[in-house]
Amino acid sequence: MGQAESPQTNLLQGTLDLLVLKSLSTGELHGLGVSRRIEQITGETFQVKPGSLFPALHRMEESGSLKSFWGESENNRRAKFYRLTKAGERRLGVEAEEWGKIVAAMTSALSSI
Amino acid sequence: MSIWSRSESLLRNLFRRNKVERHLDDELQAYVALMMDEKMARGVSEEEARREALVELGGVTQVKQAVRESWVGSNLESVGQDIRFGWRMLKRSPSFTLASVISLGLGIGATTASFSAVYSLLIRPLAYPDAQRLVWISNLWPKIHMDTVLSPDFVEARSQSRSFEQLSAYTVGDDNLTDAGEPVRVSCVWVTANFLPMLGAVPQLGRLFTESEDKPGGPPFVLISDRLWRHQFNANPAIINTSITLDGGKQTVIGILPPHFRFPDLQLEPDVYGPQRVDLDASISISKRLTNLNVIGLLNAGVGAPEALAEMRTFYASRKASYAPGFQNLMQGQQTRVDGLQGHLTGEDRKPLLILMGAVALVLLIACANVANLQLARAGMRRREISVRGALGASRTRLIRQFLAESLLLAMIAASLGFAIAWGVTAVIQRTQLPEAASINVYTQGVPLLRLPFGKLSLAIGVDGWVLAFTLGLALLTTFLFGLLPAWRGTRPNLARFLTGPAQRVTSGREQKVLRRILLVAEVALGVALLACAGQLTRSFLHVLQADPGFDAANALTGVTLLSGPKYQAGETKNSFAEQLVSRLEGLPGTRSAAISSILPLDPYDARSAFMMEGAPKPPMGMRPSVPVISVTPGYFRAAGTPLLEGRTFNSEDSSNMGVVAVVNRAFAARYLHEEAIGKRFDLNSWEGDPRPVTVVGVAVDTRHGGTEQAPEPEVYFPMAQFPQAAMRIIVRGDGAVALSSQAMRNAVTATDKEQPLFDVQTMEARAQASLGQRRLTTLLLLLFSILAVLLAAVGVYGVFSYTVAQRAHEIAIRLALGSARARVLRLVVAEAVWLVAAGGVIGLAGAFFLSKLLRNMLVGVSTHDAVSLCVAWLVMTAVGTLLQVSSRTWWRS
Repeated sequence: MGQAESPQTNLLQGTLDLLVLKSLSTGELHGLGVSRRIEQITGETFQVKPGSLFPALHRMEESGSLKSFWGESENNRRAKFYRLTKAGERRLGVEAEEWGKIVAAMTSALSSI
Repeated sequence: MSIWSRSESLLRNLFRRNKVERHLDDELQAYVALMMDEKMARGVSEEEARREALVELGGVTQVKQAVRESWVGSNLESVGQDIRFGWRMLKRSPSFTLASVISLGLGIGATTASFSAVYSLLIRPLAYPDAQRLVWISNLWPKIHMDTVLSPDFVEARSQSRSFEQLSAYTVGDDNLTDAGEPVRVSCVWVTANFLPMLGAVPQLGRLFTESEDKPGGPPFVLISDRLWRHQFNANPAIINTSITLDGGKQTVIGILPPHFRFPDLQLEPDVYGPQRVDLDASISISKRLTNLNVIGLLNAGVGAPEALAEMRTFYASRKASYAPGFQNLMQGQQTRVDGLQGHLTGEDRKPLLILMGAVALVLLIACANVANLQLARAGMRRREISVRGALGASRTRLIRQFLAESLLLAMIAASLGFAIAWGVTAVIQRTQLPEAASINVYTQGVPLLRLPFGKLSLAIGVDGWVLAFTLGLALLTTFLFGLLPAWRGTRPNLARFLTGPAQRVTSGREQKVLRRILLVAEVALGVALLACAGQLTRSFLHVLQADPGFDAANALTGVTLLSGPKYQAGETKNSFAEQLVSRLEGLPGTRSAAISSILPLDPYDARSAFMMEGAPKPPMGMRPSVPVISVTPGYFRAAGTPLLEGRTFNSEDSSNMGVVAVVNRAFAARYLHEEAIGKRFDLNSWEGDPRPVTVVGVAVDTRHGGTEQAPEPEVYFPMAQFPQAAMRIIVRGDGAVALSSQAMRNAVTATDKEQPLFDVQTMEARAQASLGQRRLTTLLLLLFSILAVLLAAVGVYGVFSYTVAQRAHEIAIRLALGSARARVLRLVVAEAVWLVAAGGVIGLAGAFFLSKLLRNMLVGVSTHDAVSLCVAWLVMTAVGTLLQVSSRTWWRS
């Protein structure tokens, strides 16, 4: 009973990072907050399960794109918050640009005869 | 930046693990709490909210595990985890672990030990340049027991041959070195000028002698070994161009050989190298003085040994025509050989070694199969645990990796044990030598040099870097061999089945069952066969020990001195030395009798002579029977403890003026003299002069010469007064009250002639022991090997039995619950294994018949169908097998 590896999840892993970075671009959030924000900004298209989200958050923190700290949530609950680092901001910019190029290329390819 | 932060994380993950885990836990708890808040805000009850939140989370443990795996260093850490876990698991089932470790350890140890022997003896190249082109050329003359190349043939071959870039030759001998401290006996070789350069020997001081110096009548130059230089001359470099006295003659030292140079002969490490001075006349006749040469050749590039052999054969065929007629008779049955030098040095040892290697590899495979069985049994019992872990989120890869880690741990422990075993066996091989082997006074022609089972090369059998690498490689290989199958099978995806309860009747696949049965039967058969053979060899050994050697080894001290040099050219000088020495020796305290002989009991013969019985038709020269001859002083038979069956020993009247008398042994009397031996006459032949008539005056008991196992040959003893010898082998018999002292013997020799060295002093008992060395070692090794096989078979039985029990645990439990008597159930389960052991026993006996045919040469006085050994072997095996099953803890635990 291991983790089911569906092709969907794999595709998402690269884009998941990008979504996380984007969702934190407006400010710091805790884990649930990131999840809700991604839902929001993708218009409910992507719902990220904790089993994918938390590993991504920790991984990006370890590679230096995010930084975590303990704080209080709206209801005064103690939670772990994440925010972008300088490196994270740079990475967001670079990857967003890459993504734009990919989208343009794919659009062009699919609309040609 | 990223690297810095990663390293930081790595360190934190490794060293602040608790804190990190707690934070993760807190983080996830917070997540759940926040989610609950969301739901409760929408009006969901707290309980419902919690349930929903947990479902959405997807399982706390899974999420945690996913996060852990994303951490830097998780791989490293999980490997560490696996190993720790494996260690705990191994400790938890000590009987399995012990059985596996012993099984594997023995397999790896045996394989490593035989590998290091094979490597040193067969694979490691000789330390000479172009060693693969060096060959040993020999010419076997069966009629006169010679195995060398005659000097005129050598000269002719050297000028004619096209296959060889170089041909070089040497002869061996020994001389007394005097005038340099205490007199010593040194082993010398006389080599052609190209010998040392061909072997790449570069002197550390001085130079080699040249071709032009290597002629008859050339200057008396010699080279000495590094060892002699250090031992006798204190490594004084001024020795170059000074002279030393060898056998009374002065030789000038012109060079010193380097310390690492090894002479290409197993029996020899000479200390003096002199020029061979081959006579360049290539003609052959009976009257000419010929030298028997040992020849080593360097093949031309691109020429193989078979090609060179063909050329040598043609060469000898054409030479035969130019031999004198008498010679041609002697050449009957002559065989030429060209062997690679490495192969020649290891000689007949090659085949048994390869067989040994094959057998040991088989043993290792069996050991791995054993351990695989054991592990399968264990995996069966841990099924539930594995299922639960799988349910908790462990991937199949991770589970397999864990099993492999455990197997690797097991293999490493076993490899250490195996390495220790191999080291021990190697040490035993190296140590079976006499303590004097390292000293410089020991080397003579008749006595085997370093008395190790494989000669000088035994020193090369060591546990070195290659062997270590080999052991580790084996460990890894065996890990995969025995670890992979259980790991793979034990973590099959359909684990849900095993979680749901006991209703499953689990049977293993058909082929697996058959395979296991075959394995068990094979192991038992192997154990029985080997044990039976070992039993036969042991009985042979005991038989040899008990056989009457024809002399009394107790209370006798022996020593050797060799007369040489111009002082002792004449026979009378040798005789007077002998007489004086004997009377001095007899005067020593505690001596009952003393004597000198040309060879002692157990020595190989050093002289033979052709003879004819009186009145018998005279066959031509090359066709006459020959017999070994021994020269002795009158007191010999008493000193050696060889009783006379008839007649008398020699006395002072048997001097060179009177007719020649002889004492023959019983074998001679039986074969040639038939009835009355005393007074019979026969004619002794020599190359020069007329036959000499000999009168038999006594018959002695048969004595063993040439080793304890050789059957006694007909021998003739002559009085030393009539046949003076240069070889003086002393034997002194004590009365048992006072110990004989070697120093006293030495003093007696020095008092007779202060320049004569005494060497090779040891008790007769020690010599008898040494001659048994080879047989003893072989028997011991085979015995050890069979014990190994029995142990492995025992583990195999245990393993198979445990597996069966594990498989049928439920069935057994049900039977017991339903009221079956315990004994009945026991019988049911045990029946299969007992049957297999019996089958294995029968096959093993058949195998033993076959194996003992192979051993036929080694069995002395024991038939190949030795019932005693076979029965004992079978009983032992069956007893072991049964005992194990009955006492198996697995059974009781179930």
